[in-house]
Amino acid sequence: MSTPRLRNNYPLVALLLPALLMVGLLFVYPLLFSLAYAFRNEAENRWDLANFSKAFALYGADVSLTIGVTVLSTVLVGVLAVAVAGYLTLGENPRAVAVLRWIYRWPMFIPFVVAAQLMRTFLAKSGMLNNSLMSLGLLEPLNAMSLLDWRGVVVTFVWKQLPFAALLISGAMAAMDRSLMESARGLGAGRLRILIEIVLPQVRATVGVSLILSFVTMLSALSVPMMIIAGSPTMITVDMAWRVNSYGDYGVANALGFVSFAMSGVAAWFYLRQGLREGGQPK
Amino acid sequence: MKRFHRMLAISAALSLGVVAGGASAQVTLNVISGGSQNMVDYVTDYLGPLFEKQNPGVKVSVVGTGPDDAGSQKMLEKLSAQKSAGLAVWDTDVVIPNQQKTGEMVRDGLLMKYRDGIPTGKYAVSQSAKMALGVNVDGYVMPMFESQTALAYNPDLIKTPPSSYDELRAFVAKNPKSFGYNGLKNGMSGVAFVVGWMYAYGGNPDTIQQGPYDAKATSGWDKAFSELKAFNQQVVFTPGNAGTLDMLNRGEIAMGPVWVDMFQTWKTEGRLAPNMKLKILSPGMPGQPYYYAIPAKAKNVELAKKFIALATSPEVQAEGIVKRFNWYPGIDANVVKPALDAKTWNQLFVDVTPEDLAKNAKPFPLAPFFKDMREQYEAKVQN
Repeated sequence: MSTPRLRNNYPLVALLLPALLMVGLLFVYPLLFSLAYAFRNEAENRWDLANFSKAFALYGADVSLTIGVTVLSTVLVGVLAVAVAGYLTLGENPRAVAVLRWIYRWPMFIPFVVAAQLMRTFLAKSGMLNNSLMSLGLLEPLNAMSLLDWRGVVVTFVWKQLPFAALLISGAMAAMDRSLMESARGLGAGRLRILIEIVLPQVRATVGVSLILSFVTMLSALSVPMMIIAGSPTMITVDMAWRVNSYGDYGVANALGFVSFAMSGVAAWFYLRQGLREGGQPK
Repeated sequence: MKRFHRMLAISAALSLGVVAGGASAQVTLNVISGGSQNMVDYVTDYLGPLFEKQNPGVKVSVVGTGPDDAGSQKMLEKLSAQKSAGLAVWDTDVVIPNQQKTGEMVRDGLLMKYRDGIPTGKYAVSQSAKMALGVNVDGYVMPMFESQTALAYNPDLIKTPPSSYDELRAFVAKNPKSFGYNGLKNGMSGVAFVVGWMYAYGGNPDTIQQGPYDAKATSGWDKAFSELKAFNQQVVFTPGNAGTLDMLNRGEIAMGPVWVDMFQTWKTEGRLAPNMKLKILSPGMPGQPYYYAIPAKAKNVELAKKFIALATSPEVQAEGIVKRFNWYPGIDANVVKPALDAKTWNQLFVDVTPEDLAKNAKPFPLAPFFKDMREQYEAKVQN
């Protein structure tokens, strides 16, 4: 949208203004405010890095755990989503494809907090997972252990985000020109090879976008780590809530928010770079 | 165009008239409650309808802001925003905050001194009606109920439960992973366990509870925290207050700290095995009240006073607080007892006797000590 066109188009500007004002007042302003106040030392009334040194001293392990959990979950979401979408596109058994298509979207309609509550009973030491494994004779009761720690969070995140990513990716795959796949198959390529060498390169941008959006969503989830991780280390969203609620300490919470913002900033940078490299506007 | 304007004016006048008419026919008493869902249910299902029946034309509207400091912090922020905005009348008539945040609200001038103006004010006899974690709140609050933490245990797995922190440590050393608690960030029952530990091993418990604040009183904390860190290696961490009860119920742990009222309610509702029992560890575990308070510039002050007077009358405390919700009464227990049948009264004190309560029920620490304690736990035990 070029500027002269905007200048000559007051109604357009007037229509845009309320939305811009809302975003500005309720999102951009508080965001900048919180980023700036991460550097505010209220106790000594000056600007410095005290909040950050406290945040890393107390929650350094939590920052690493947050990075680890979200990156691992994103990778797993990516692999599984490509597998699901690939089967939906290339699967040969129509009944299996129909069942998968029907079932895979379900978790998308379940809120994070409900998913977390489900996992709390599913993954507990005497939860449904272990009980089923034990009754199948696959697990000795003595070896049963609770998965209610970072592993539980990864399971929940992947379970919850997989359908979203798979939906986007399978959509992109369905929109592809099928003739390439058909000719590869005609030349005797296996389905896995077609998926990896022909389909995947063409939907790479969509895979990237869906994973970045999943990454950011998981990074900001509070309910899942709060309900699933018992003890510590935990994820930094929990620490932010804890600083504000227990100490009324917005400084350290803002510093942690800054860290979280930096992490999603890295993701956003990849997203934009991807778009620019493709020679157009980011999708 | 002129006609359009006239129509617009008429419709605006009409809709304003409807709003005004509605408001005059009915007064809404706005209540904000902290605490878990059961506290909101208490007002929606029991207290609200009772008050509406006694005061025709009044509607009680209650909003819950959630448990622990987090929930009450939201109330504090709401009132404080209205104060900073310089509003003459605030939109909240009654607040039900926890102890810590009540102290902060009184300190910030967000609450009204009303207790002498209501007939039930004289029943507020407990220590917590006067001091909230070191802040003088005398006159600003009526305790809604007293809540207490205790060790819940499964008698099938433990015949004779530990009765003190020392015995608990000895037991856990012999039976690792038999005890579970929810750490520091996952609900107050875990915090309460840590506080009890510090009262037992950190030294100067009286100063920590009564004040005055003096950093020297915490000189014994390092050792207590390092012992707690070692102890933590032998315990199971549970996800939250409810998580402890869940794990106890599934037999994954044999004991853990819980809120007495939550324990009793779960038992009554059949969500917890009926044979589970309670014990308060000596030298003591903390408990806390929730308070009824009126914001400094509430709109319906007289109505709010009437509401609180009803809520703290012996009959309502007996029927609502003790019988239906398994809390300990907030007002003088001696005036509540005659309003209850002996069976209900005894049920409340079956595992934890009044003597246990008198001896081992402690308040949470003074606010500045409490803050130090939680921060040091994070720095020294969790890291």
